[in-house]
Amino acid sequence: MRIVAMIMAGGEGTRLSVLSEKRAKPSVPFAGKYRIIDFTLSNCVNSGIFDVGVLTQYRPHSLNDHIGIGKPWDLDRARGGVRLLQPYQGRNDQSWYRGTSDAIYQNLTYIQERRADLVLILSGDHIYKMDYTTIIETHRRNHADLTVGVMEVPLEETDRFGIMTTDEQDRIIEFTEKPRNRDKGNLASMGIYVFNTDVLVRRLAEGSADKPRIDFGKNVIPAMVAEDRVYAHRFTGYWVDVGTIQSYWETSMQLLDPTHEFDLFDPTWRIRTRSEERPPAKIGPQARVLRSILCNGCTIRGTVEHSVLSPGVYVSPGAIVRDSVVMNDTWIGPGAVLDRVIVDKQVVIGAGAHLGVGEDLTVPNKSQPDKLNTGISVIGKSAHIPPGTSIGRNVVINADRDAEDFPGRDVPSGETI
Amino acid sequence: MLRTLALILAGGDSPALSVLTAERTEAAVPFAGKFRIIDFPLSNCVNSGIYNVGVLTQYKPRSLHAHLGVGRPWDLDRAQGGLRVLHPSPTPDGGGWQRGTADAVRYNLDLIEEQPTDAVLLLAGDHIYKMDYTPLLQHHAERAADMTVAVRSVSPHDTHRFGIVSVAGDGRVDRFEEKPRRASSNLASMGIYVFRKQFLIDILAGTEQDFGRHLLPRIVANARTYAFNFQGYWADVGTVQAYYEANLALLVETPALDLYDPEWVIHTTSADLPGVEIGEHARVENCLLSDGCRVYGNVTHSVLSPGVYVSPGASVRDSIILGDAWIGPDAVVDHCIIDEGVRVGAGAVVGEGDISVPNQATPERLNTGLTLVGTHAQLPEGLSVGRNVAIRPRTPESAFPKSRNVPSGASV
Repeated sequence: MRIVAMIMAGGEGTRLSVLSEKRAKPSVPFAGKYRIIDFTLSNCVNSGIFDVGVLTQYRPHSLNDHIGIGKPWDLDRARGGVRLLQPYQGRNDQSWYRGTSDAIYQNLTYIQERRADLVLILSGDHIYKMDYTTIIETHRRNHADLTVGVMEVPLEETDRFGIMTTDEQDRIIEFTEKPRNRDKGNLASMGIYVFNTDVLVRRLAEGSADKPRIDFGKNVIPAMVAEDRVYAHRFTGYWVDVGTIQSYWETSMQLLDPTHEFDLFDPTWRIRTRSEERPPAKIGPQARVLRSILCNGCTIRGTVEHSVLSPGVYVSPGAIVRDSVVMNDTWIGPGAVLDRVIVDKQVVIGAGAHLGVGEDLTVPNKSQPDKLNTGISVIGKSAHIPPGTSIGRNVVINADRDAEDFPGRDVPSGETI
Repeated sequence: MLRTLALILAGGDSPALSVLTAERTEAAVPFAGKFRIIDFPLSNCVNSGIYNVGVLTQYKPRSLHAHLGVGRPWDLDRAQGGLRVLHPSPTPDGGGWQRGTADAVRYNLDLIEEQPTDAVLLLAGDHIYKMDYTPLLQHHAERAADMTVAVRSVSPHDTHRFGIVSVAGDGRVDRFEEKPRRASSNLASMGIYVFRKQFLIDILAGTEQDFGRHLLPRIVANARTYAFNFQGYWADVGTVQAYYEANLALLVETPALDLYDPEWVIHTTSADLPGVEIGEHARVENCLLSDGCRVYGNVTHSVLSPGVYVSPGASVRDSIILGDAWIGPDAVVDHCIIDEGVRVGAGAVVGEGDISVPNQATPERLNTGLTLVGTHAQLPEGLSVGRNVAIRPRTPESAFPKSRNVPSGASV
């Protein structure tokens, strides 16, 4: 049986604030040296699927650089391998990807050239380990046209997900997008779909103005539930959508919990990534490091506590990094203090700057009150924080901000610069 | 620049490195956590724009092969040139093993002849240094030399460890002495030679086995030979103590060997491992930690390779721990070199007692207080190991004395 995996990696991920301003969400760094898409890509190759299309659209450069020819995943192959599928122009038509199933529709020839029997549709922005052969097995056993990966979620959270209602055989009889009433059961769609190729082609081709086939969740799956054999495959492991600043930060901090079920060190299910060429992490004589993840190329001369540091981070003497996520090549000056901050790549934090100041974590960000309201401040890529600056909670410093962009030495909680 | 073929000599058995070279050639010995010694000459080649490289192997090459692969980390997986691993092969008359450096190159003369190169750069696979070979090659070309040797000044006390070169006023070499007791100069050969291709082919027409001992004194007397002075960091890590010191020297604030220089990256095969995990009760001070390490105990003034596990309560001090070694709960490791995959049982103490008792089997090699544990040795719980001890690779728990005590100077 021939399987081709299609990974959705084109979404904008607006809820990740400045982290996904300059890059697509799947290429946001995670757990130190990884990018979010590494988890899905590694799941594919660890499941024996070496035919992978990655659909890109929004800010693809960082993602293209990262995936390259797919070498770290052994996806640089003569047959199959990884293919980056970007929106394109035709003689008579041109269009951006208007939704998930539209993106697949515009690349149907790629799927057909692969002569795939099954198409596995995945999302590039989830953190989980899953052997896809299990869902394919479920799909085959049920002679299904479509199988949807689902997991149980607490009933009070069902309004955040697409909820599947099933019969005793796990055949899906109803699909409700974000139900308000909690009466549809608690099986949430994980955005993982196995389609029979012929059914997928037929369903996507029948789209029209009054029967749109733009989005799997909104159009395609509800139509199929009514007429085709659609089954659920239950997944019970760890799965998280790091789509918000809050969940990104929480998921990062969970990695530091020794009892956490998600094990990056599992030798039977390696998460692969493009490793940067850097020497080992160097810990200075005055350094203190507790309950943290560091990567090659880091130099630690200060204190790092309960934090995740990507490759090449420099922590100067006297600096304190606490409950924070710091991405590649950020320089933290002497005596600087970081508390509950997510710092993007190549940021310079001047000497003595304090980031995350204030007891009150609940003053929401004024321009994004729905996204930033739990005390986490976010610093965009390549920003320069002047020495001695004091930055409060729920603050956003946009990418490339420099000394002249700061009105004074004090940035109160909830501000955006 | 001259079209250049680089040949790296990586076949020696380096007995002075004791158990570290028991199962691998010296070029494949790990260095600075995640690197191998050969990464330095290999990276120097590609950083100098030399993409035609042969690695000559003979002694225990398996680990080196696994590391080199097709040369991908050095961008040496190329259609033209690239990396070639050159191993000995039997000759019809029953020979084939290489008996010295000159002999090793002679076996590959057919390859050298067919390469479209002007010069052959001969390198040692067991030195740690960062060097741009371009000025050396230019020096060689400008003087239309037959051979150019890279030299550096060493202390007069050390001249007996090196090939010593005497230089005339015009930079021409007029004398070469291999490891002289009394030297007339303190310019030591770095084991880096540039040969005019045809000249190399001509001088290897005979049967001399070794460059240093047999060929160089004659070449210097009869051909246009120049010296090229090199000033940077260079270390021969051919003894246990030199290897240990060169590793730990990386821990000072500004080491002489800067591995963090983005202009001269040392390339290596990186293991696919997550970042370093540091536990809640861990203490780490003054050390190098490679990706995939997990530290729940104490690590002070040490260098750890990828995948090392330090259990809660364990202490690692002044030591080098190579890949995937496991240090059990409450174990103590002091002034040791622990090779790959070693298991140090719970509560074991490795490296304690009198440093003045040299190793009895090899007193000339192991006498500075360092204890060496060979690859995949299994040290039982509660074992006590003294100083200057050598534990052979793959020693099982059952091979240790019932008393659980290995005194200083012993070998297991």
